[in-house]
Amino acid sequence: MQMRTIEIVVGAFMLAGLISLAVLAIRVSGFNVGAEANTYNVFAKFENVSGLVVRAKVSIAGVIVGQVAEISLDQKSFTALVRMEIDSDVAELSIDSTAAILTEGLLGGKFIGLTIGADESYLKEGAYITDTQSSIVLEDMIGKFLMKQF
Amino acid sequence: MLANIRHLGQYGIDLLTALGRAGSIWWQAIWRRPRLANAHLVFRQIYQLGVLSVVITVLSGFSIGAVLALQGYNQLVNYGSESALGLGVALVLVMEIGPVVSGLLFAGRAGSAVTAEIGLMKATEQLSSMEMIGVDPLQRIVAPRLWAGFISMPILALMFSVVGIWGSSLIGVDWLGVYEGAFWSTMQDGVDFHSHVLKGIIKSVVFGLVVTWIAVYQGYEAEPSSEGISRATTRTVVHSSVAVLVLDFFLTLVMFNF
Amino acid sequence: MNNDVNNATEDHITISDVVFSRGRRRIFDGISLQVPRGKIVGIMGPSGTGKTTLLRLIGGQLRPERGIVEVDGRRIPQLSRKELFDVRKSMGMLFQSGALFTDLSVFDNVAFPLRVHTDLPDDMIRDLVLIKLQSVGLRGASELFPGELSGGMNRRVALARAIALDPRLIMYDEPFAGLDPIALGVVVQLIKTLNHVFGMTSIIVSHDIHETASIADLIYVISDGKVIGSGAPQELFKEDSPRIQQFIKGLPDGPVPFHYPATDFRDQLLNRDISNHSVFR
Repeated sequence: MQMRTIEIVVGAFMLAGLISLAVLAIRVSGFNVGAEANTYNVFAKFENVSGLVVRAKVSIAGVIVGQVAEISLDQKSFTALVRMEIDSDVAELSIDSTAAILTEGLLGGKFIGLTIGADESYLKEGAYITDTQSSIVLEDMIGKFLMKQF
Repeated sequence: MLANIRHLGQYGIDLLTALGRAGSIWWQAIWRRPRLANAHLVFRQIYQLGVLSVVITVLSGFSIGAVLALQGYNQLVNYGSESALGLGVALVLVMEIGPVVSGLLFAGRAGSAVTAEIGLMKATEQLSSMEMIGVDPLQRIVAPRLWAGFISMPILALMFSVVGIWGSSLIGVDWLGVYEGAFWSTMQDGVDFHSHVLKGIIKSVVFGLVVTWIAVYQGYEAEPSSEGISRATTRTVVHSSVAVLVLDFFLTLVMFNF
Repeated sequence: MNNDVNNATEDHITISDVVFSRGRRRIFDGISLQVPRGKIVGIMGPSGTGKTTLLRLIGGQLRPERGIVEVDGRRIPQLSRKELFDVRKSMGMLFQSGALFTDLSVFDNVAFPLRVHTDLPDDMIRDLVLIKLQSVGLRGASELFPGELSGGMNRRVALARAIALDPRLIMYDEPFAGLDPIALGVVVQLIKTLNHVFGMTSIIVSHDIHETASIADLIYVISDGKVIGSGAPQELFKEDSPRIQQFIKGLPDGPVPFHYPATDFRDQLLNRDISNHSVFR
């Protein structure tokens, strides 16, 4: 085979290796590089975020529109502060939208579900969602249920 | 009894001699300044060892990924956590099966070819005549193959893992009906680039080095007859397969903090 | 080609008192011989007497246990690997099998030494290769691969490759073995021409008496690890040592026995201890 053909084929082979590496990095291990450019940040405070993890999805009506970027403790109110990265395409979220921490299936992972409000002004970069609903903690629910019984 | 001990001693000495010779071949081939003028030889070998192994690697990767999806789904669905399928398959492929199985395939497909080729070159006096022309076969023949193995193996292992994950998503998501978002998001949550993907790559680099090293050594030291070459080829496949499996254990032990 | 006429009588190669064993078998037991510069020297002897080994000792591929191997005044066994590869540029060797690189075309085979050892531009290499191929009569075959050539043509290409760098010394390992009469004539003629035209010192290792005798200036006969006779071919034919006569005349039995050393034939036939047969072991 001609040396030139071999060089091209070997080049393609190495390129395929690089692409595989990229797929493993981005698609499989969720290594987001430069993806911030197409998102904007929205914050929300929750009483309780147990079970929610960074990179959990944020969805509206079951459609993924972003992900949880950061979870921290607000030292003043001792509530959980969650930073979400929302896709720039989804720009028109009204400011009275609500955020709830929901569970995928009975034992599945937690995610944030947004419900759109009616206001005509929209959430901007760095805005807060004020109306939130915390994650349901199974132990609490069982506790409440038992208290009612007795 | 005494004879047994003597045999054992002899075996030990033979083993040490072989290791010493293999080491010196490696040393002379790799560390004596790789010449840029020989880059085209490395290219040719990447073609021989890497590109020609792509088809078998991709096919095996796909089938193994698909089987992992089937079996994994069967177990996970009992606990209602089939959304973790993607995570399980990806972790197993990236850390273990990708590097190990592609290493074994590489030993069978490329390692044996290297041994047979170098052995035949030796038997037909091509290596001798090269020496007499004043060209060191260790640099001209052995070094490019060692480099090519070192470069090709991680690429093949990466391809194996990616195709395997793709195969498992075809089976898991498109056929068995695992929710697609969950399939990928649990995978992305659980798989970490540094602690999983990178360690898999390190494994495959080590396997590539060891397999080509064994193959080159066996070819170079083969008895220059048809029987000798066939024995050397068999030895390459056996030794390098065992080496891959044993090294995998130790690498796992060291890298994953046990 | 750098042959200095004044030094024509000087020895190109000196081998003295060389001992070499392979495994437990002693191949050379204090062998000594000289190869004069610019001559054709034949080294003859029965198969298995280590004629090829001798060439490898001269080329530095093997090291003797004892003794001196000197080429152009340089002691081969004492050279470093790098020096050795340097010295080999002035040596050409024609292997019995040709030993062409099977993955390269005839042209690239002959160009190989030029490409690795010189910085000549491509068109110059091309000219040189074509000249060498022309001299062995295979310029037309330059695009073929070794697998497409006959044994005789293979050897001629190997010869073109061996002389690519214009060596001062060329060694032929069984150049006549297995050739048809025409190819044989061609090779004999080539060896003679190369020696006469370029003044290369030539060593021919062979057991083909007539071909070797027809072109050699000097012949050494070796047997049992020693030189048992030497001289110009005509003198050698007159030598009355029975061993040399046996070899030259091709007698099946004589001082060099037809039989490999064994126990008495009659004894072995009568002795029915089958464990002596390797087949049954």
